[in-house]
Amino acid sequence: MAIENPTHDLQLRAKQELQHESTRPGLVFRPDVDILEKPDAYVIYADLPGVDEKTVQVRLENDLLTLDASLATLPGEGWNSVHSEYRVGGYHREFRVSDTIDSAAVAASMRDGVLELRLPKVERKRPRTIEVRSS
Amino acid sequence: MAPYTLFRPWGSGSSFDDLRREMDALFRQYGSGTLPSARGAFPAVNLYETADAYVLTAELPGVRPEEIHIGLEGQVVTLHGERRIEYPADEKTSVHRIERQSGVFRRAFELPVGIDADKVEAVHRNGVLMLHLPKAPEHRPRQISVQGG
Repeated sequence: MAIENPTHDLQLRAKQELQHESTRPGLVFRPDVDILEKPDAYVIYADLPGVDEKTVQVRLENDLLTLDASLATLPGEGWNSVHSEYRVGGYHREFRVSDTIDSAAVAASMRDGVLELRLPKVERKRPRTIEVRSS
Repeated sequence: MAPYTLFRPWGSGSSFDDLRREMDALFRQYGSGTLPSARGAFPAVNLYETADAYVLTAELPGVRPEEIHIGLEGQVVTLHGERRIEYPADEKTSVHRIERQSGVFRRAFELPVGIDADKVEAVHRNGVLMLHLPKAPEHRPRQISVQGG
């Protein structure tokens, strides 16, 4: 199964602003994500345009995975806005993870504003093949 | 490929008073200070003006710099490219959620004044495209020094 549709025209979807993040200054948006499962890990891809990987925070507490990021790319000084179609801010999203994740082995990387989060399952949760040998 | 739809955020007149009036009307209409883009076109862009340049920014996460094509013809800037998202087609991968879209995009913008085409710079960093469009020399502010008699 390939997830691919190259001839499709991209449609703009407005960024979803989170309303309840009153403890932090500035706007906070809910990033779009794709979630895949492999035999040994979950993989989450999150669109975080304008974010530098140094500001990304991933926390795993019990079964709650929290993703936070703040904005690195801001308008420069002395730039007067003459036309505005999107707003900028940080990002926040929470996920419930059903399987047990090996929290020490969670790995994150970023490329072109997309976060790739790899959440390895703990060893015992992986399907195992047990060989039966005849003696 | 469908043709570009030329987008003139400042309306048909070139005067900034017209622009301001239209912006004000739109702000009143939508309240948020953010305009809807032309027919939901992707990507959304912001345009800023400095004394000697325009700066256009667009959020294009997951698009490689080499997949963004920028053109400039007169006062019209065109932007097109493709956002590819492909996941391995094997039975060991199950997909739980797909929110990120893939597809092609194209947009065109008419700037209020001519641009110094040789000095245009484009940077794609952290998934944000930033186009620096210096105004043609005749549209830049000029300081005229006054000489004593």
